[in-house]
Amino acid sequence: MDDVFHNLLLGLSVSASATNLMWVFIGGLLGTIIGMLPGLGPATGVAILIPITYGMNPATALITMCAVYYGAMFGGSRASIMINTPGDASAIVSCFDGYPMAKSGRAGTALATSAIASFIGGIIGMAFLIFLTEPVAAAALEFGPAEKFSLMLFALTATITLSEGSIIKGFLAMGLGFMLATIGIDGQSGAIRFTMGIIDLQDGIDFLVVMIGLYAVTEVFKNYKAINVVFDVDHRMIGRVWMSGAEFKQTLLPMLRSSPLGFVVGVLPGAGGTIATFLSYAVEKSISKKPERFGKGAIEGLAAPEAANNACSCGALVPLLTLGIPGSGTTAVMLGALMMLGVRPGPVLFQQHPEIAWGVIASMLVGNVMLLLINLPLAVPLVRLLKIPPRIMLPLILGMGYMGTYFLNYSAFDFTLVSLFALAGYIMSMLSIPVPPLVLALILGGMTEQAYRNALTISNGTLAIFYEKPISLAFLILAAVSLAYGLLRHRKLTQK
Amino acid sequence: MNTKWILLSGLAASVMAFDYPGTALAADWKPTRPIEIVAPAGPGGGWDLLARTVQQALTQEKLVGQPVLVTNKPGGGGSAGWTYLKGKAGQGEFLAANSPLILQNNILGSSQLTYKDFFMLANLMTEWEVVAVKADAPWKGGKDFFAEMKKDPTKMNIGVGPALGNDDHIQFLTLTKAYGADPKAVKFVVYPNTAAEQIPALLGGHIQAITISMAETLEQVKAGKVRLLGVSSAERIPEIKDVATWKEQGVDFVFPHWRGVMAAPGLSAEQQKFWSDTMDKMVKTETWKKALKNLNWEAFYQPTKEYTEFLAKQDILMRESLKEVGLIK
Repeated sequence: MDDVFHNLLLGLSVSASATNLMWVFIGGLLGTIIGMLPGLGPATGVAILIPITYGMNPATALITMCAVYYGAMFGGSRASIMINTPGDASAIVSCFDGYPMAKSGRAGTALATSAIASFIGGIIGMAFLIFLTEPVAAAALEFGPAEKFSLMLFALTATITLSEGSIIKGFLAMGLGFMLATIGIDGQSGAIRFTMGIIDLQDGIDFLVVMIGLYAVTEVFKNYKAINVVFDVDHRMIGRVWMSGAEFKQTLLPMLRSSPLGFVVGVLPGAGGTIATFLSYAVEKSISKKPERFGKGAIEGLAAPEAANNACSCGALVPLLTLGIPGSGTTAVMLGALMMLGVRPGPVLFQQHPEIAWGVIASMLVGNVMLLLINLPLAVPLVRLLKIPPRIMLPLILGMGYMGTYFLNYSAFDFTLVSLFALAGYIMSMLSIPVPPLVLALILGGMTEQAYRNALTISNGTLAIFYEKPISLAFLILAAVSLAYGLLRHRKLTQK
Repeated sequence: MNTKWILLSGLAASVMAFDYPGTALAADWKPTRPIEIVAPAGPGGGWDLLARTVQQALTQEKLVGQPVLVTNKPGGGGSAGWTYLKGKAGQGEFLAANSPLILQNNILGSSQLTYKDFFMLANLMTEWEVVAVKADAPWKGGKDFFAEMKKDPTKMNIGVGPALGNDDHIQFLTLTKAYGADPKAVKFVVYPNTAAEQIPALLGGHIQAITISMAETLEQVKAGKVRLLGVSSAERIPEIKDVATWKEQGVDFVFPHWRGVMAAPGLSAEQQKFWSDTMDKMVKTETWKKALKNLNWEAFYQPTKEYTEFLAKQDILMRESLKEVGLIK
């Protein structure tokens, strides 16, 4: 234990140098801005930075890249809250309650909550990273294809049974998502599936395109009728970028619960922020005494996924630091950049370059504080966006949505897709079919299918592998319980 | 060529001669706009790294006199980015990273593009392929491992990624056949996230072996967690000098996992000469050599003519081994 503190002090002395502090600030600010723009995620942010890192020493380079990664996590949910447009898959859940909060005049509170929850998630994640890296990394190795499949099944059932309205419609949406996920070339058989001869569909449908269509553009359609209405929002409330004591108390436990959950999901190979945020939301909703408030601006429905997401990004560093393999797209970019500087993260990094490994860990502590300080004042100009009348705001959102789409793959075909999904989103909202199960199934569909096939390859075709492995069995039971719970709740609601 | 064009090019040449007194002959071509290197995948992969390494060397050694940008154009296992390059015919400011996938996409039928559609500028580097098992596994080399494969293939799960039909897959198929086991009976577990999933799966005991690039396993080898059964290089590799090549183990199989760069089709002789000269200079710079060393890449420089001949031979080899397991007809 003494060792840990000694090393942490060494790290703090590295990260507290004037140069490094400056880069944490620049990286954090850049990341926040990148995270806010739809379609641009942390991986792109870090990639943009690579040429700048050429002249840096490796510790400064890694510190700067981590700051961008973190900044993007902080910034990702700004657009979710303000205009219902998630900047990244892990910011989808922040729309569920963040946007209703903003619409009811609590945008300042929502932005403050998101920054504070991100901060707390980040700090708890850091603590886990410092003290629990070894045991968590070892436990994560138990996680094979069968376990992965069962975890995803659980995340999916939890999302369906907890989304608004009819459970049948939830399944319908999930089915659509799965069908969309099968489009493209299948990596196992090489078969080209459901592309109808369109070459642009060979890689499948990018879920970010679907997301921008279903959320941002649909939102514009929905608000079109009210285009000349001036929002009657309480301007005093908007200006208040802080949480009250009562609000903090309300969200404290959800944040404390979600952070470890997010961290553990982040460590698992190939799981990531999407599962972490959806699961933490599902957990909070299912244990809440008033689950009906969720989706209508419940503050804990925003705080929980935000905390989970940031803790998850700490967890994603565990495989990078302990095994030298990237746990997420962003960490893959960081690994590449570091290798170009002659440093290979991995099991021996802590012994060979303790100043780098611990410098980075300490800089994240510093970075979290700094990002909180960047993000709270930044919320003040952001909330003023709400004062912009819809006839100006809606075209802006439309423009940003299409611009973001083009930046994803530089493909004009994606414009067609985004428009189609916007139309689909409008129809779905008229029929009150929930959108989250569709998006989640689309994101997880390919992974779920491959995990299922890999598990069956290993077991030589017998299904027993799913229930003979204890972790997998546990997730299957949780999935069954969440399904039963959802059906019961649904029956209660319809009987009323 | 019409008069206007001659006038324009004459003007351009005189401007250039003015800019670079004494160095530029009238026939020389130099890029007049920023150079774009297309990485036909997202950030973080092998193409992306190669594109950024070339960018670094060209910029720091001031070889092109223009800014160099890397753009990521993911899609179609490279085809999206390469199609974009093909659309820049005759323009000398565009390069793209490539690898054996440009052959394999065509062989497997997912793309119509071939290497013949481009100016194959230079092959630059290679990695070597290995088969890795857990350090506490009973197998020491290819012979005892594939004997086990022959005895009971249902107990052996082989991790490969991101999709079947790539170099990793072809290496394992070739070895299986060479050691007398049945390539069709091999159980391949496909990991779309490659090493990020393959290595934890191997260490966690979910699969028995992985077929993968050497560099991806190096940290685990150093930490004593993984053993390499053999490597596809011609000579032993210094970082892993205890690992015998397949050739030493009696299998006549040397298999590079190379990456290079190509330029748009339809370039003029001057444009081709500019880039060939630039690559010749680049591979000799300290920046380039140091970058290769840092990335654990081996230099594998082949200028255009050699590169094109090499590709023609590789194309035949891959078609043969994929035909054998029935992945193509």
